[in-house]
Amino acid sequence: MAGMCCGFVGEGDSSASSRSSRRRNLDMLPFKYIADMAVSSSGTSRKRRQSDLSGKKDFESCEDSNGDHGNDKSKKNKNGSSQVSENKPSTEGNLEEGEFPKFGVTSVCGRRRDMEDSVSVQTSFYEELFHYFGVFDGHGCSHVATMCKERLHEIVKEQINESQENFEWNSTMQQGFARMDDEVQKWNSSSQTVSCRCELQTPHCDAVGSTAVVAVVTPDKIVVSNCGDSRAVLCRNGVAIPLSSDHKPDRPDELLRVQAAGGRVIYWDGPRVLGVLAMSRAIGDNYLKPYVISEPEVTVTERREGDECLILASDGLWDVVSNDTACGVVKMCLKSHKVAPPGSLANNDVTTDGSDRACSDASILLTKLALARHSSDNVSVVVIDLRRDQRPSSNSNNN
Amino acid sequence: MEPRLSGLCTKKKIEKYSTPSKVMFVLPRSATDDINFDGESFHNFFECWMVEQNKYLNELVAANSAQPQLTDDTMHTLIDKVVEHHEYYYREKARCAKKDVLSMFSPPWLSSLEAAFLWIGGWRPSMAFHLLYSKCSMQFQARLNDLIRGQKTCDLGDLSASQLTEFDDLQRRTIREEREITNMMAEHQETMADTSMVELSHVISEMIGQGENEKKELEERIESVLEAKLEGLEKILHRADDLRLRALQGIVNILTTKQAIYFLIAAAELHLRLHEWGKKKDDAKRSKQGNREGESHNS
Repeated sequence: MAGMCCGFVGEGDSSASSRSSRRRNLDMLPFKYIADMAVSSSGTSRKRRQSDLSGKKDFESCEDSNGDHGNDKSKKNKNGSSQVSENKPSTEGNLEEGEFPKFGVTSVCGRRRDMEDSVSVQTSFYEELFHYFGVFDGHGCSHVATMCKERLHEIVKEQINESQENFEWNSTMQQGFARMDDEVQKWNSSSQTVSCRCELQTPHCDAVGSTAVVAVVTPDKIVVSNCGDSRAVLCRNGVAIPLSSDHKPDRPDELLRVQAAGGRVIYWDGPRVLGVLAMSRAIGDNYLKPYVISEPEVTVTERREGDECLILASDGLWDVVSNDTACGVVKMCLKSHKVAPPGSLANNDVTTDGSDRACSDASILLTKLALARHSSDNVSVVVIDLRRDQRPSSNSNNN
Repeated sequence: MEPRLSGLCTKKKIEKYSTPSKVMFVLPRSATDDINFDGESFHNFFECWMVEQNKYLNELVAANSAQPQLTDDTMHTLIDKVVEHHEYYYREKARCAKKDVLSMFSPPWLSSLEAAFLWIGGWRPSMAFHLLYSKCSMQFQARLNDLIRGQKTCDLGDLSASQLTEFDDLQRRTIREEREITNMMAEHQETMADTSMVELSHVISEMIGQGENEKKELEERIESVLEAKLEGLEKILHRADDLRLRALQGIVNILTTKQAIYFLIAAAELHLRLHEWGKKKDDAKRSKQGNREGESHNS
């Protein structure tokens, strides 16, 4: 059976001839090849699963908003839609300048024996205007996710700095992810010591990777870059809008891409690239290149008045809680907090780590909901409050 | 609710082994105590301890339903008592293991169901967190709407951010230590086939049918080699029991009094019922075998 499978993998794989040594490695993996027709039926199965996971909302609905500049927003930022001007805090009167959005983070091991999730929050990571939030769900070991947590925001910052001239989010983020992936590879070959599980089995370090979903929140935009099956969901006017689309091997376009690269998607406990990895993109995972790539899909969404919150989470949440449910929970939680504390108690709303109590409570609620629904994975949740009208002194007249 | 009193646990014995006051724990029991602990008497101790465990469960349940009237201090005292009851268990277990460590690894006082799920002579420490998460989940689901609206339920569904972080931290440390002990055990198990053992077993095999004198000398060697193995087992068991107790204490310390009562109730219920179900299974198996033997005898 293994031979059968690897035959398929090798077929038409001319581009990857330099990776023959890696493929030899794969030859030794115990593939269980389930008939090819399973692959061709993936279209329907994917739809079924996706609607289970993410409710009725289409990924496309958020792309609509990409080009759609909400005219209910600060007009000055609209001028900046050429994106270069965003780098300068020149937009006077902008509501969010110098303030970072409220957020809450929860990240727990849950019912798994290993913690492989990492979360990174960098408020004001670029000129007090851009705020960075990332969730990384590692597999194989935790070190790639940890490296992403420690390095990716620095890299993205450098990329933004370097591309002042004709700044563009899509390429900036893609270059950032590519550099992150390079660093992981270099680290692998340098075999530095690190305190993680896999140091005991260094030859397999190539089989370690991580998802990455990163949201950069600017005064007028939400830039989400995603690689893997973690997810970002925006709650706008009470509606859940996914800002990323999971990279599952049976997503039709991803399936085609993997096959075009000479790879195969094999059903073994769900669709997996070469029967091994249950996602089609990831940082790291050298041994699955070029089928598994680190290139993120980037969405740029204009912020609007009706934006309530942004949720980033690993699949420990999304496997058991739908986008709609998650948004509903956060929305209610934020609302109930809004009623309770008067302005004088504002200090109580910020916890020691700079996170906001209401958002923190919302992230805990989602985590507990995931655990209550028997999530067997690590659960990491970031909740970002996007509402603009929270401060009593808010510039409602500026809008 | 009353667990079936085994013949081993008479009322008199309960009095003998029971843990009436806090003072009793503090006073170290001398080795010259009239109770000569070994595998057999630990069996008695276990039966009595389980009866007490059931008594404490009833007290916890009563305290929980009388909560509005009880002061925090009263509840705290009860929680301390229950945790001390667990500490008492491990102290006696350690004493007994010094004399007979082997019965701690294949305890005749447990049902085969419980024995099948043993980790180094007891429950797996990381299981405590699954128990916690399971109970939390049940209480969380039951009051989900209230919790979303920001209401306080004060039960296990209502864990705060800092509690969740502390549990996560404790859980990770516990799993790390659990792995270390598992590795220790693996290494110790592997020494059963080390050179001295293989050599000794070979020499003895060759010697079969030879002089008594040489045999005697070798028997002493066997005894001393096995003694070292048992000492190793005892050390590992001690670490495992220590981790079990610390996991339990750690969880209770992070919880509020109200939450701790819920947790201790869940822990006692699971422990008692598992024992009961396992015993029932064993009894059924035994009577089935008895019938079969009776039939074959008749035929």
